[in-house]
Amino acid sequence: MSIREKARQLFAEGVDGVLAFKRTDGVCIPHLFTKTEVEEICKDVPADQRYPVAGIVRRIFLSGLAGKIGVVARGCDERALIELGKQGQIDFDLLSIIGVACSEEQARYCECSKPYPSRIDVGSRFEGISVSEKVRAVESMEGDERLAYWLAQFASCLKCMGCRNICPVCYCVECSLEDENLVRRGSVPPDWPVFHLLRAVDMASRCIDCGLCEESCPSGIPLRTLYKKATEIVKELFDYEPGADMTQRSPLGTIGDQSELPGGAFEA
Amino acid sequence: MMSEARGSSVKIPDDVRIVAFLCNWCSYAGADLAGVSRMQYPPNVVGIRVMCTATVSPYHVLKALQMGADGVLIAGCHIGDCHYLKGNYMTYKRYLILREILRFAGINEKRVRLEWISAAEGEKFAEVIRSFTEEVREAGLSPLRKNEVIKSEFGEKLKNAFRSLEVVK
Repeated sequence: MSIREKARQLFAEGVDGVLAFKRTDGVCIPHLFTKTEVEEICKDVPADQRYPVAGIVRRIFLSGLAGKIGVVARGCDERALIELGKQGQIDFDLLSIIGVACSEEQARYCECSKPYPSRIDVGSRFEGISVSEKVRAVESMEGDERLAYWLAQFASCLKCMGCRNICPVCYCVECSLEDENLVRRGSVPPDWPVFHLLRAVDMASRCIDCGLCEESCPSGIPLRTLYKKATEIVKELFDYEPGADMTQRSPLGTIGDQSELPGGAFEA
Repeated sequence: MMSEARGSSVKIPDDVRIVAFLCNWCSYAGADLAGVSRMQYPPNVVGIRVMCTATVSPYHVLKALQMGADGVLIAGCHIGDCHYLKGNYMTYKRYLILREILRFAGINEKRVRLEWISAAEGEKFAEVIRSFTEEVREAGLSPLRKNEVIKSEFGEKLKNAFRSLEVVK
């Protein structure tokens, strides 16, 4: 089934708009289609172009255009939508997902552990890659060498904020990276490693591993490797996977009486 | 809080500098008890009083390290004794994550320590400061101390890392 057919089907079921791709000047760009525009929808998903689809959906909800929306989503987009839904940024129940499975090539490039959404409408399923070679490569360095490696990488940062701006799960109104008390203003590269580690700490329990941060980084800093590790840490400690399903609660998102510690901690 | 730490006049040349975040209800009182009981412990620590260890974000720990602290201690009430019931649960979870991220970034995770010290445990406070100072001394001066890093052994490693990146890019 092509995306256009699926979109037509969704319109028949009563969705108000479909977020899909439109071919403009030879490039496919995201566009919110209404029922009358359905013939303009790209049949395929641009193979190597990826967009922060979840971020766009969040902005649609912010603008008050909330209605039933169909969304063309890859595995990572779906995870981001679930994560945003859990954190109250969007209403996940209003969304109908047109699932697109990534190609094997794409999945290998991303070292993605789940390159397909929960239901696949387009493409064929490729089982993901469970162990990230890039993370292992950094882990195998000696402590001081690892710090030197990261410092050298971070030193090329231009503080363009691209990683934050494109991140589908970054939605804070006040951003710690803009806090003068944490990161000094007016210097490039920004204070490293604090600038990048602040983000890494934030990404733990939130990062859904879409890798758009790394794609958008003009300096080619391997941010994805850093955040992949942050996600692995949370998985290991709390058995929590961001965006896996709507029922799992984030270990850092629960406060008060609901707070729990990882198994075995402080048991007498 | 930041300016308080920055403006501190404690200067210990060639020795480790430690920032300690102490919770108002337990550990700060514990430190007080150690003081009035005239217990001896190393003077390398700058204490910062916070209302609860849960108000100590990983951001603050990272910022302290960035500013050249060789060690960061977070001390609060024992689990179950938190003045705000479950504040220290949050601290503990954040600490576990932060420690692993620091390890992955190549910063010796022993530079950051979380301890539970009650208001009655003056002796424990002194002991924690003693052992932590010793541990941080073992880890050495922080490689993030910008002025000293260039001359050190780590400076060489950093230069090599820069060189190898230039080849790759």
